[in-house]
Amino acid sequence: MENTNAKDFSELTCTNLMIKLKILLNKLSPGDTVAFYATREQVDNTCSPFSGQGYQVIWTEVAANRYLVRIGK
Amino acid sequence: MRWLAGVIGTGGGQEHSGDTGNVKIFLTGDALFSLVDARTRPAWATLSRLPSVLVIADGDELRLQGLADPVASGIPGLRITGSANRESFWGELVSSLEKDWPGTRSAAFLLCTSPYMSRVPVYMLRFLTCVLGAGLHPELYCYLDGVHTLHDGQRPSEFENIGKGVSALSGNTVRACRDPWFAACSRCATARGYYQMNPGTGFCEPASCIQDIAIKPLKEILARFSGFHPVASHMGGWTVPAGDGKEGVPALTVFITHPPYCSEWTFGGLSLAIAAAMDGISTNVVFIEDGVYALQGNHDVPDNDRIFNVQEMIAVTTDIGRLSYYVHAPSVADRGVSTTGNLSLVREASDRDLSRILFPAKKDPAFTPAMRMLFF
Repeated sequence: MENTNAKDFSELTCTNLMIKLKILLNKLSPGDTVAFYATREQVDNTCSPFSGQGYQVIWTEVAANRYLVRIGK
Repeated sequence: MRWLAGVIGTGGGQEHSGDTGNVKIFLTGDALFSLVDARTRPAWATLSRLPSVLVIADGDELRLQGLADPVASGIPGLRITGSANRESFWGELVSSLEKDWPGTRSAAFLLCTSPYMSRVPVYMLRFLTCVLGAGLHPELYCYLDGVHTLHDGQRPSEFENIGKGVSALSGNTVRACRDPWFAACSRCATARGYYQMNPGTGFCEPASCIQDIAIKPLKEILARFSGFHPVASHMGGWTVPAGDGKEGVPALTVFITHPPYCSEWTFGGLSLAIAAAMDGISTNVVFIEDGVYALQGNHDVPDNDRIFNVQEMIAVTTDIGRLSYYVHAPSVADRGVSTTGNLSLVREASDRDLSRILFPAKKDPAFTPAMRMLFF
């Protein structure tokens, strides 16, 4: 099921997704989350590493190579 | 141009411990007009008198543009290629790079402009044809509008067919037992419709593309930058200290020369620089000429606009270890702009500082076996 609040970042490069997430997470209040769609490669290479930086990262596969990712403080 | 004279002049004067060595400047296309422009001609005249500097102009393009006579008589010491008994401009460039990069097995061209609107793809073909002629492996990296080279079915009525030219070069390379490594950035190709999602698989596939250029993530293209070979472009260069071991990865300096938002140059240059640094390449970003406008004021992207805030991009990437940001102070002063105080990690650089960056001394921790320079 599509989450209408989630932006589609699946076409960003891993570098640009990293930049986008750092910008969004810098503005995030404690307890809030960022939700977006990403590919498997993005989840593995870019989203997962944020879990080592004090963020909670969870994802769900919603279609072929399409994941709904949530990152929160 | 004026700052280039300052940078080379500073280094050439040995005012710091780095050494510019012998500098060759190859000029073609629109850059040739700077040889007759009253604002820049004195700088060329000064540079061409330095014993360590050789300025080489493309004779065919000079004649095309009606510049041959004024240039030949106006700049002492200038070498003009293509006349009797002289090698072609591109042949001379390739001969030079073989000496600059001893032992290199390949040479690449980073193509950022589209066929027909720009003549740069013609230069790319001439350069890579000479690369192959020298027995090297030609490499082509299509980026930004350069990915339009991918388009199948190009049929210009008046211009050289770039798509067919790339295909012919690819075939000639294979027949010469060399390996053509021709790739286009997947982000740029997706944006321009050459890489389309297959809903059945969830993965993108080439659409209306020639077969000779593979679509690859920028990360894979940048992986080629770890090799010891030159990367030419519409405007670029390299420094290779003589006589040293060639171990290690060449460094990269990206010059941002355009205002931030009305074209993709700034975003494209920053993206490439950040990705390179994240892949382990020591990278400098220099905001220079109109590129300093990226640092003017505080940028506020409207909610309904889908664009990266360049200042936010810079702010969140200053913690990347191998990435350094500079702003060219004379460019700021020339334009009378005030750069934002929120980007304190962007260091001011004078011509002398740029000379230190581009020609680091051997004892400098930033010293690398080579430095590539790309202008966006």
